[in-house]
Amino acid sequence: MSSNRPLWLRAVHRVERAIGEPVEAAVRTDTYFDLVTKINRTTKSAKRTVGGASTKVLHLANLPASSDMKRMREQLSRMERRINQLSENVAELDGSPPDPSPHD
Amino acid sequence: MPPTLNPLDLVTRINRDVERSLLRARNGVRYVRGSHAPKVGATPKEVVWRRGKAEVWRYRNGTIRYGPPVLIVHSLVSRSYILDLRPGSSLVEHLTDAGLDVFMLDWGVPDELDADNDLERYVDWYLPRAVAAVQRETGCREVTLAGYCLGGVLAALYAAGHKDARVRNLILMATPLDFDEMGAMVALLREGRLNPEELVDDTGNVPADALYSGFYMQAPTTEIAQKATLLDNLWNDEFVEGFQAMAQWSRDHVPFPGAAFRQLVEEFVRKNVLVTGSIRVGDREIRFADVRANVLNAMAERDNVVPPAAVQPIMQLVGDPARREEMRLPGGHVTFGTGRSAVKHTMPQLAGWIIEHSDERPEPEEP
Repeated sequence: MSSNRPLWLRAVHRVERAIGEPVEAAVRTDTYFDLVTKINRTTKSAKRTVGGASTKVLHLANLPASSDMKRMREQLSRMERRINQLSENVAELDGSPPDPSPHD
Repeated sequence: MPPTLNPLDLVTRINRDVERSLLRARNGVRYVRGSHAPKVGATPKEVVWRRGKAEVWRYRNGTIRYGPPVLIVHSLVSRSYILDLRPGSSLVEHLTDAGLDVFMLDWGVPDELDADNDLERYVDWYLPRAVAAVQRETGCREVTLAGYCLGGVLAALYAAGHKDARVRNLILMATPLDFDEMGAMVALLREGRLNPEELVDDTGNVPADALYSGFYMQAPTTEIAQKATLLDNLWNDEFVEGFQAMAQWSRDHVPFPGAAFRQLVEEFVRKNVLVTGSIRVGDREIRFADVRANVLNAMAERDNVVPPAAVQPIMQLVGDPARREEMRLPGGHVTFGTGRSAVKHTMPQLAGWIIEHSDERPEPEEP
């Protein structure tokens, strides 16, 4: 099978493995894990700082900020989930599905 | 002695190369433009049950010769069309062609309304109702439950945790129990470098992008080799279509419901509780040993998402030792759904096992 592959393709695969193996080993090291964690936390903290500042400005102008919208969306979702649960309960009480009839 | 070159052979080879170059150009333009999207999940089906985003589909593809029906429980992290990727390379199509009555429990695409979905919600709420829907639809008392990846964990918990569950056969495909063996995928979470809260977004779920990045970073350079292979086979319509379908699926993840993700990290990953053989779900302890079905532990030998070592404990923990079987398959994580190896090995072996553990219907029927 591999002998049917053209020379250039075999070369690409060989180069890819030559680069890929050390890269794959690197993304399994503690250093990489620490780096990912640090990037993740720094990004979040930067977003929080910017978000906090813009929220203050918007609140001064008596305007809703994205954090307010987020809270409202969460509340709406909670309410919708509750309504869904209640309607599911009502539907099941109303017409509980019959037990399956024996077949096998 | 060097081989002699027949002029006729030379002409044939030139003709072939010219033809392939033209096809390469045509398919290359189509590929870059993104037109001619592959048709995925093409086996005819209908929705027979729906709650929230979850749906049960019944596949309509030929005569049903065996019972009980097969309900596939898909994973929570990917799209279920991997098990019905393309005609001719689809587990669903293969099982239906073999005379089985196949259903799929698809979880849909979770949003903020699903953020509170926890294990209990899946095991004690969705699954019993989905199984009851299959029983109602077919008139069969029993089902064959086939769980893929995390869907296998849900299926096993349902079969173990519900005394009234009429599961004749439980098939666990690439189902991880030992999360210490899951490798780099979960190492960040296991070692506490990342907390679940840091991955959950405003919707309360883990975004699909985060899941994709996790999978992508396992082998970030393989895409280069895959693209080169595509270039070499660009003249081959079937290859291009298969490549596009697979590429589409591997980028097409769904958000992971936040509550279930927190449980997964705390219980499965950090405490590795599944290898103890039991887990607390809701107000009770579920023991895998309580499964009363025939159990098939199907694993892929080159699976780097759920390595065989992560799957192995099933053979010690789930169900009755006398009714457990192991199936080792060549191929990787997707060999359960698609690919050349799947068509040659996985699909016939899985269909054969299910049929062996099913009953032949006295009168075959159309679904």
